[in-house]
Amino acid sequence: MADKSFNAFKMAQQQFDNVAEKLDLDPATRELLRNPLREYHFAIPVKMDDGSVKIFQGFRVQHNDGRGPCKGGIRFHPQETIDTVKALATWMTWKCAVVDIPLGGGKGGVICDPHNLSMREQEQICRGWVRQVVRNVGPLQDVPAPDVMTNAQHMIWMMDEYERLTGAKYPGFITGKPVGMGGSLGRTEATGFGVIYTLREALRELGIDIKKTTAAFQGFGNVSQYAVKLYQEYGGTPVCVSCWDQKESKSYTFIKKSGINLEELLGITDKFGGIDKAKAKGLGYEVADAEAWIQQEVDILVPAALENQINAETVKKISDKVKVVAEGANGPTTPEADEVFKKKNIFVIPDFLANAGGVTCSYFEQVQCNMNYFWTKEEVLSKLDNVMTSAFHAVYGLAKQKKAYMRDAAYMIAVSRVAQACKLRGWV
Amino acid sequence: MDEQQNSIDKLLHDMRERAKELNCLYQVEELLTKTQLSLAEVLAQLVHVIPAGYQFSDICRVRIVYDGQEFAPEGFALTPRTQTALIRIEDKEVGRIEVSYASEVPQTEGSYFLKDEHKLLETIAERISRTILHQQLEQVSREWETAQRALSDKNKKEWMVIIELLRRTDQNLYIHLSRKMIYHLFWNGVMEAKELLKTLSKDRDQVPSELSEDMNRPSLRRSQLELLALSDETFRIAARYLSDTEILGRIQKWIQEDKAGFLSRAINNIDLPLVEIINAITHYHYISGGHYELSPPMEKGLRVSLIRRFFSDDLKFINIAKNHVEVRHFYDLVQRIIYPANGYGRLGGKSAGLFLAQKILSTPGEHSEVLDGLKYPKTWYITTDAIMSFLSYNNLEEVNEQKYKEIDQIRLEYQNVVQLLKNSHFPVEIIKGLSMALDDLGDRPLIVRSSSLLEDRMGTAFSGKYKSLFLANTGSKQERLDALTDAIAEVYASIFGPDPIEYRAERGLLDFHEEMGIMIQEVVGRRMGDYFLPAFAGVAFSNNEFRWSSRIKREDGLARLVPGLGTRAVDRVSDDYPILISPGIPNLRVNVTAEETMRYSPRRIDVINLKTGTFETKEIPALLRECGREYPVVEKIVSVYEDDHIFSPSAINLDFERANLFVTFEGLITRTPFIKQLQTILKTLQEKMGTPVDIEFAHDGQNLYLLQCRPQAAAAGNVASPIPKDIADDRVVFTANRYISNGKLPDITHIVYVDPEKYSQLERSEDMLEIGRVVGKLNSLLPKRQFILMGPGRWGSRGDIKLGVPVTYSDFNNTAALIEIARKKGNYVPELSFGTHFFQDLVESSIRYLPLYPDDPGIEFNEKFLLGARNVLPEILPESAALADTIRVIDVPQVTGGKVLRVAMNADLGEALGYIATPLAAADAAEEKGVPAEGPSEDHWHWRLRMAERIAGQLDPARFGVKALYVFGSTKNATAGPGSDIDLLIHFQGGEEQRRQLVLWLEGWSLCLAEINFSRTGYQSDGLLDYHLLTDEDIEKKTSYAVKIGAVTDAARRLSLKGE
Repeated sequence: MADKSFNAFKMAQQQFDNVAEKLDLDPATRELLRNPLREYHFAIPVKMDDGSVKIFQGFRVQHNDGRGPCKGGIRFHPQETIDTVKALATWMTWKCAVVDIPLGGGKGGVICDPHNLSMREQEQICRGWVRQVVRNVGPLQDVPAPDVMTNAQHMIWMMDEYERLTGAKYPGFITGKPVGMGGSLGRTEATGFGVIYTLREALRELGIDIKKTTAAFQGFGNVSQYAVKLYQEYGGTPVCVSCWDQKESKSYTFIKKSGINLEELLGITDKFGGIDKAKAKGLGYEVADAEAWIQQEVDILVPAALENQINAETVKKISDKVKVVAEGANGPTTPEADEVFKKKNIFVIPDFLANAGGVTCSYFEQVQCNMNYFWTKEEVLSKLDNVMTSAFHAVYGLAKQKKAYMRDAAYMIAVSRVAQACKLRGWV
Repeated sequence: MDEQQNSIDKLLHDMRERAKELNCLYQVEELLTKTQLSLAEVLAQLVHVIPAGYQFSDICRVRIVYDGQEFAPEGFALTPRTQTALIRIEDKEVGRIEVSYASEVPQTEGSYFLKDEHKLLETIAERISRTILHQQLEQVSREWETAQRALSDKNKKEWMVIIELLRRTDQNLYIHLSRKMIYHLFWNGVMEAKELLKTLSKDRDQVPSELSEDMNRPSLRRSQLELLALSDETFRIAARYLSDTEILGRIQKWIQEDKAGFLSRAINNIDLPLVEIINAITHYHYISGGHYELSPPMEKGLRVSLIRRFFSDDLKFINIAKNHVEVRHFYDLVQRIIYPANGYGRLGGKSAGLFLAQKILSTPGEHSEVLDGLKYPKTWYITTDAIMSFLSYNNLEEVNEQKYKEIDQIRLEYQNVVQLLKNSHFPVEIIKGLSMALDDLGDRPLIVRSSSLLEDRMGTAFSGKYKSLFLANTGSKQERLDALTDAIAEVYASIFGPDPIEYRAERGLLDFHEEMGIMIQEVVGRRMGDYFLPAFAGVAFSNNEFRWSSRIKREDGLARLVPGLGTRAVDRVSDDYPILISPGIPNLRVNVTAEETMRYSPRRIDVINLKTGTFETKEIPALLRECGREYPVVEKIVSVYEDDHIFSPSAINLDFERANLFVTFEGLITRTPFIKQLQTILKTLQEKMGTPVDIEFAHDGQNLYLLQCRPQAAAAGNVASPIPKDIADDRVVFTANRYISNGKLPDITHIVYVDPEKYSQLERSEDMLEIGRVVGKLNSLLPKRQFILMGPGRWGSRGDIKLGVPVTYSDFNNTAALIEIARKKGNYVPELSFGTHFFQDLVESSIRYLPLYPDDPGIEFNEKFLLGARNVLPEILPESAALADTIRVIDVPQVTGGKVLRVAMNADLGEALGYIATPLAAADAAEEKGVPAEGPSEDHWHWRLRMAERIAGQLDPARFGVKALYVFGSTKNATAGPGSDIDLLIHFQGGEEQRRQLVLWLEGWSLCLAEINFSRTGYQSDGLLDYHLLTDEDIEKKTSYAVKIGAVTDAARRLSLKGE
């Protein structure tokens, strides 16, 4: 029964096996990369507010550090499992490798539900976590970051504990800190801009003038807003965004064929990315149902909201005009939809390339911290552009050369970079 | 045409007359309150003011006669066209006002004067009387003070000075004291006293009425003189036998008691209208100079009578209130009561609750420091009978029959009723009262709240059915008064609204004589820009029925906080959220991540717009931009979101223009004593009132104000449901005993069951997502609130979807309950979500949450039924038939022959039961939803009393050394509920062995009765008897429970023992 059920790590391994097959990796390399290099399991005793003591289970998985210190988030989740953490650590390895930043993949977590914990108790968990793995993490070994149910506050506690234990200042120990506490400028823009940097390069390669393109965006959160912004700056015409309506608990698509006006929409958007329907209508927007975004007659689709949005069902609704899909969200496309894309020759910029702007900016945070010198936002973004642009070209080059699907090419280049590093180090 | 014109003319004329009368009344009032004028000056001016109120004022002449003096304009002469009103003080005529028309005038209904003019004159006369009384009392108290000063100078034979003074100023009291003294001397064996007493009783035989109050009648003059002589003699005797100190002490005590005598007589006379009682209280306050020195039994007795008179007959309420409410408190209260002439009304439930809470919290105790600064808004009350007087004044009595019409018709006519009432006039005395209220309350915004008798009777079940209206209270006095009367009329009209009537009809309360009191309260808050609002406000409950974590205990309580007016916390607003805090464990928040915190943060705020004079809802960011700088403690109310990080800001550099601000109350919760205060209030009130409470509060940035307090017992839908014990095994669908809240789901027709086992075997996440989508579709297909969702682990899991069906709130917003099943896997049980992902959505839409642990010992989980019953999914959603293995839809009536699933949840017992039951008839269903299950029923107390009598009847006094047995508390007072103890007091005189035997014997009874009660009601307890053994010494010293024996009120009742 257990082996039949859904297991994220098994899925990550299968994905790797497919790529390994294509790359024709040797058995030892396969064996090494199929599994994490190191796994730490430890207990974190915490004195609770009521005086009792509770023991929490903590993890850190370092999947591979052949290319540099491990990088990956720390999750607080009541039903965290080691398999999930292992899978996520593996994906981090590939993600860092695909954008060619000198980092490996890691992930960690604590089995706990912050809804059941006071802030003081959460602080104790954070500090306890660091105490247990202090020897195995650090700016030169493994750099944690915020993830599910952890945020800047948790990172500051962890950094503080690490600095206490080591007796020196190491802001580069952890990322996701607020600006002024070792955080980097440009992080808000990073993911959305990164999507558009890769899109710009893709259009250039496809011989399409971005100024003559139209695009539909799903979502109106952080990623989507900044993606729309940059796309518009490049001269493109975004014709719709979709967003969640809190009141009705459903999504709507806001369409203006002549091009939406970002500033105008932001003016009628609440802090949660919800656009006021009535006001939008007043401004001449057509308010359509949730799935309307995918049916638009546009050149580009940017799914930047949830996973599994382009699936066997919805893929049928995509217009023949669509030439490029830039995946701003994580896993927006299901394998069935991928098949349709291949058939219809739709160019896909896969998620872990397109939305790697975030992790790249984390890397920049780490770099700036380590040298204790912080860049301007422009500097951060122009460096981000460089990284994303060259990452795209590397993947595109391989796809062209091997006539591979972009998603496969991205995996191939990531895995081969890691495999190469391990080989050079003489591990395999 | 002419006729119509005539009637309009008549109407205009009438209205003009009324305006004149009111105007006249205002002027009279103004003169009377001019303290710098002497009484003679006032009266002299009054005769010129009064004519203005009359129809023919130019020929109207007025004369006032008082104390032998005459005040009249020159050339005044009585004519046959005269109207007279008497000026009375303490029922004695001391003067009169005469109004005469100098020449002939037309008559109306056989009189020269209008009906209203008669009333006008009576009112003026009464006002004059009270002013004179007031001045006299001040005079007396001045004399008294002079005497006191004289005493302190000489410091010798003080009592003589006192009685000398009394003999001159208050002969009745003097005689009364001498009578007391005779008795006292007699009791002490003084022979002369015996002689005197004989003389006295002889007198009494001859003049039976001499002790009555009317000693001033001429026919009694002689005996009065004799009495005075006797009295003088008495004190001469006393001086011989008693020490000066003792005499002084006695006199002081008796004087105090006597002062209260009339008060006690007035209060205990149920025939006296409220005005008399209020006069008596005021009078007593004046003569006692604010120092109430009543003997404890008298104080207690008066308290009870006053509580009954002003608030409630409910014994439970009286029992609690009498320990906290003192007689002196009523003086302040009656200053702010508005009542119809000769009314008998009360103040209603809401007023009673707040008044009691205020007294409880003001009693000094260990918490005093925490509650320092707790305030109560200034409040005026209109008595409950004013509505009837209002209706009859306007000849609208037939509106009362509205409630017996068909509900459709009531609904149809309601708007007319509202308009009708709003266009009616209030009686003069009410207008006068309201005008005084407005002067007292000033021009702060006001809230007009209902305070009805039914609310009192029914606890919270009736709350929110009647209206509360906010008033900006701006403009001229007349405009403010008009707005106020308009609002009161509208609140009155809500009695005749379709919803309350329907609600009453459902509960058989239609024939209850509903009357509504009104509270006029100042709105707590301050002006910010054009708006008036409190910094924040909310409601709080002693019992937390919506726990979002297993670590929160029910008694940790729950508070709902919002910025601005509390309306958004009181009512559930579907698209907005209050901040929820459990005061007992404030660090455990509902929302943890920045995203959740922002999503469930309040967005809108209710304010009073002083410019437009209206109640408004504003977007919080807009309001903060407009007047954030003036907003008190705003830095403790909002948090700043920046860089994925949400934090509480410092007071300086808060940028209302650009910063991403969210209401979180973080600073308030972590850096102020507010939560501690709230918790102390809830705990104290719960402890003293003996019931969980529900309070409303507001905070103006400096002080916390308590606005309302009532028992939490029965908020509709959250009543503890009795758990039936006689359900056959095969009818039980599930039981639960962890993290149970109160409530009942009466007629569930469909169960959507996602099989945990099958779900965990799904291999592809796509399939799991599909289950979520199917649930979403079923949600829109199945009857709203008549189906429940049961599924594995965490509904709406956002991380790993194999832990729970991936759904969002919109996928289940029609369900009646969300049930999470935690099946044991190997040796661990997964942790459930408690609905935290959408906890606040569940709360706001009253969707129940219930966790099931089928593998716990003693838990029933009828898998056979859930898996075996026919699955109708393929019929409802043919396209999803393939998933029928995993997701099952059970049509309960279809598979059970017309029965339904009923879920009973009882947090008191910590038990829940889902069982197959016969559907309730429509009427019964309504009852099931609302009637408190715990209300005192005839049966519960009756049975308890019978059992107590049985115990007494079988208790052998000799064997156990028992002298007497008493019953008290809920069993004696007929208020016992299904979970009540039987409270017994046992006067014990036996030895150690007898005590042991007795306790053993009683324990046996206690256990047996608990068992019987359990099978009767489903309430479990370790024993039903709560008995206290009292020794002779206890009873003599009246320690602890011994005070119950022979107490003034609520005394324990003695039961006959075996052989007695």
